[in-house]
Amino acid sequence: MMIAAAWACLLSPLVGALTITIAGGRISRRAAGWIATLSTFIAFGGALVAFVGLWAADPSDREHVSTAYTWLAAGDFEVQVQILLDTLSSTMMLIVSGVGGLIVWYSMGYLAGDDEERRYFAYISLFVFSMLLLVQAGNFLLLLVGWGLVGLASYLLIGFWHYRPEAVAAAKKAFVMNAIGDATLALGLVLLIWETGTLEYSGVFEQVDGLSSTIVTLVALGLLGGAVAKSAQIPLHTWLPDAMEGPTPVSALIHAATMVTAGVYLLVRASPIFEAAPDVQHLAAILGAITLLVAGFIALVQWDIKRVIAYSTMSQIGYMFMAAGIGAYGYAIFHLMTHAFFKALLFMSAGLVIHHLDGEQDIRKMGGLKAVMPRTHIAFLAGALSLAGIPIFAGFWSKDGIVAAAFATNDALGAFLYAAGLVGALLTGLYTFRLYFAVFRGEPSELVKEHTHGHEAHGEGPLTMLIPVGVLAVLATVGGLVVIPGVWEPFLHWIDETAEPLVQATVTEDYGTSAIAVSLGLIGFVVARRAFHAGRQLVTNPGIWRVLEHKFYFDELYDALFYRPAAALSVALRRNVEEPVVERSLDEIGSGTIQVGGEVARVQSGLLRTYAVTIAFAVAVLVVVFVAVR
Amino acid sequence: MDGPDVGWYLIVAAMLFGIGALGVMLRRSPLIVLLSLEIMLNAANLTLIAFARQQGDLDGQIFALAVMAVAAAEVAIGLGLIVAMARRRMLLDVDQASALRG
Repeated sequence: MMIAAAWACLLSPLVGALTITIAGGRISRRAAGWIATLSTFIAFGGALVAFVGLWAADPSDREHVSTAYTWLAAGDFEVQVQILLDTLSSTMMLIVSGVGGLIVWYSMGYLAGDDEERRYFAYISLFVFSMLLLVQAGNFLLLLVGWGLVGLASYLLIGFWHYRPEAVAAAKKAFVMNAIGDATLALGLVLLIWETGTLEYSGVFEQVDGLSSTIVTLVALGLLGGAVAKSAQIPLHTWLPDAMEGPTPVSALIHAATMVTAGVYLLVRASPIFEAAPDVQHLAAILGAITLLVAGFIALVQWDIKRVIAYSTMSQIGYMFMAAGIGAYGYAIFHLMTHAFFKALLFMSAGLVIHHLDGEQDIRKMGGLKAVMPRTHIAFLAGALSLAGIPIFAGFWSKDGIVAAAFATNDALGAFLYAAGLVGALLTGLYTFRLYFAVFRGEPSELVKEHTHGHEAHGEGPLTMLIPVGVLAVLATVGGLVVIPGVWEPFLHWIDETAEPLVQATVTEDYGTSAIAVSLGLIGFVVARRAFHAGRQLVTNPGIWRVLEHKFYFDELYDALFYRPAAALSVALRRNVEEPVVERSLDEIGSGTIQVGGEVARVQSGLLRTYAVTIAFAVAVLVVVFVAVR
Repeated sequence: MDGPDVGWYLIVAAMLFGIGALGVMLRRSPLIVLLSLEIMLNAANLTLIAFARQQGDLDGQIFALAVMAVAAAEVAIGLGLIVAMARRRMLLDVDQASALRG
């Protein structure tokens, strides 16, 4: 029953995508939207059935592998199309299909009237299918398939508005950066096949202890490379802010709630490999901590509402990497879930604002929207409080747990991560409330006034947009109550069954850390509020401002390091190889052929009798030759 | 076997073939060229039949019939071309019909 439900969960969005694609212009745009939405909700239903079935089962019976057929067979090496249903994957299925369903539903309102809505819904259904394949895959190869497909869907959706050059450039950038990660991931898998002869999770994890540490380290590095690229962590993070060129629901679904957290899922899923290579696991935590700080700082100075949230996403995924890197797997997935709630909520509220202002994304032109859009204001505020880790909101429970776990590791690395996590909490409070105040508080700006008078009638947005936002607002508020340290922690125990944690904070450490983190978040709030009312920016030093505005010069660095040399090399090759060697040799082959043809053509005199004589002569020669040879 | 030895037939055939070949190579009237072609084909037929008799096998004779059919078709086309040339008041001279010069 639950296996069938899991398969239905996986295949329903695929059927949706194919239906929309094949039906094409024969169905209305609205129908395409409903097909995509319903297929995702059916997937959610399947995930729910699978989850409940698993929940009701005995704890020793919570890992099911279901094989459809053998996909590849080469000698002893076989790869099956199989799904794995355990506590981790069922949780991910619920998050992906649940949040996904809400966002697809929301996009019906957001994209209404777009010329190519049907294409959008086909893409987004494809994405949901790919993401479910990624989390449900029963072996590493199928995971890689899902991994590649979500990259493809992300590329297609970032570049959805293909008439905008920035969108196309952003899509390409995302694809190329992700391809680097895909390549390292694939190399890691090749090494695994080489060494263990299997790609099934259980088979690999059993043999991990028997492998040499070099091999395990290389494999773990390969997997980490994939995770870093997919989750936009330093140094492969520059694509995520640019990816905001896509439609806002895409940013909410792919670049906040689900796809970018796939790296965290991989770290947790492959935890036995990372535990066998502790250096790589710590590297993941360190990269996460660095990203969390860098992205937090950059978010302080951005002007684009979506980019601020995008940097915040990088920063929050940094927390998740930290958690996965120190072995607090339950908290990594917990934060993944709460982040999916509140970050999707923030993006969708921002989408309502952008929708209301006819596509304006610059927060300098916004302000005072609280009076105009009261419901959006409340939703955004819930997301912001959750993001900043204010108690009872979802983000509070998950983020503080990660920081406390860092404290509990009790070593130098833990101290660094702890400090980074706390600084991150302050930064989160700062940039979140800077954004909140700039958009919703103060006097209505010119732009807002202009749009208020024209749009009095249509309120804050269509119901298809408001309902999902409302649901997510509730989830972002109470969704964290599945873990209350020391009182009840069913979520953590649930994940622990798949990935045993390496570190466990005591209740005292947990609440002590929370007290500090919440104070820092509140300090961030107060500072942002005072800066806003004083009309100041949060960063006043022009030098620092410039560095932050240029995002620590990562783009410029990569430009100088990779793009320029590659471009220079290409130009040099074109000048010195392509043109003189390849192109000219082709020219010469052509002109030579023409010349020879001209010579040969003279033989064709057009005189019938000459031909006859030639034939006769040739035959005579042949006869002589045959006779002589014999 | 009755009749002269096969060698004699071959000599006659060779002579006929030579006459035909010279006709094709030397004469300029397309009618005569066609005629010479026919002579060459018949020389070939003669050898086929001669060998068929020598071998006591009918294959050569059947093949000769096929050659005749081809020859008839070829003459039909050739004469058609010549009539077309004449209609256009072209000179009936194969050396003049050299428009296909490369």
